[in-house]
Amino acid sequence: MITQMHLKGLMFDPYNNAYIVVLRDEEGSEMLPIWVGKSEAGSISMALENVSPPRPMTHDFMKSFLDAYDAKVLSVVITDLSEHTYFAKVHLMYGDSEYTVDARPSDAIALALRCNAPVFAKESVLTKQSSEELEQWLENLKPEDFGKLDSGEDK
Amino acid sequence: MSQSDSPHNQPIVEYRVDRVLDETSTDTRIVVLSRQDGQADTFPIWVGAAEGHAIKLALDTTVTPRPMSHDLIKSFAEHLGVAIRRVVITDVKNSTYYATVYLGNNGVERTLDARPSDALSLALRARCPVYITQDVLARRSTANLDAWLTKMDSKNAGAQQQQEVRET
Repeated sequence: MITQMHLKGLMFDPYNNAYIVVLRDEEGSEMLPIWVGKSEAGSISMALENVSPPRPMTHDFMKSFLDAYDAKVLSVVITDLSEHTYFAKVHLMYGDSEYTVDARPSDAIALALRCNAPVFAKESVLTKQSSEELEQWLENLKPEDFGKLDSGEDK
Repeated sequence: MSQSDSPHNQPIVEYRVDRVLDETSTDTRIVVLSRQDGQADTFPIWVGAAEGHAIKLALDTTVTPRPMSHDLIKSFAEHLGVAIRRVVITDVKNSTYYATVYLGNNGVERTLDARPSDALSLALRARCPVYITQDVLARRSTANLDAWLTKMDSKNAGAQQQQEVRET
């Protein structure tokens, strides 16, 4: 079973000096936080805000590579999140064949946003990740923890 | 666009990624390319910290637990049967270098515009050659890396020089 997820936001986690991509399902009953690095967060943020940088960023290049061969990103699936090792699959259509490519969720999401491809999460990932835990974590966040991505923070 | 503007027709010189230098004072790294045709020359390109890290990983053939972004691009290429043939640094405008990635598939060659950092990261992973056009070599900043390195050693690293050649 897989559930379609929507990107709800991106925030800075000052405790881990990392960023969190927050995915949520349609009804808002399931929430999936994914910790990503600064440059990955920057790439996701650019796609979210529809910013076109003067030069192609890595995921823009990735998309233009796939576009050059008419390879279409059908979907991406977050398949596992365990002990800081996150797994995702990119499903590609090329010619008459479908290909499944192993990726990190950050790359998969950054690419999916640029290709308007849906993002899914495996149910096992959602059950593993109790959303209560995240909500508790969110409650502990101070207002100044938000929006650091735009202010060009330095480590 | 005139024919002479086309990177296809420009004389090119082979270079190789030699090392990635840390720039402790800023959030940038310096990728040093070295000339391969016997003539001694190094060509520095300033890149972002994350981009420099991606190049360093490939240069050291570090195996990461999960595929990094350029590993994913390489993996896409493998799935699609596309060969990454070569990378050419084709232009420099306002201190920004431009690169072209040459791809081959079923005898058809395609080119993609890229930042040098992405192109070099990919070249190292695909083990394909890297070239710089004579035009870029002629028009590069006159700031010589050796002179710059000497400055680095003398503690008074000239911060103003660091701005001269960079990727973005």
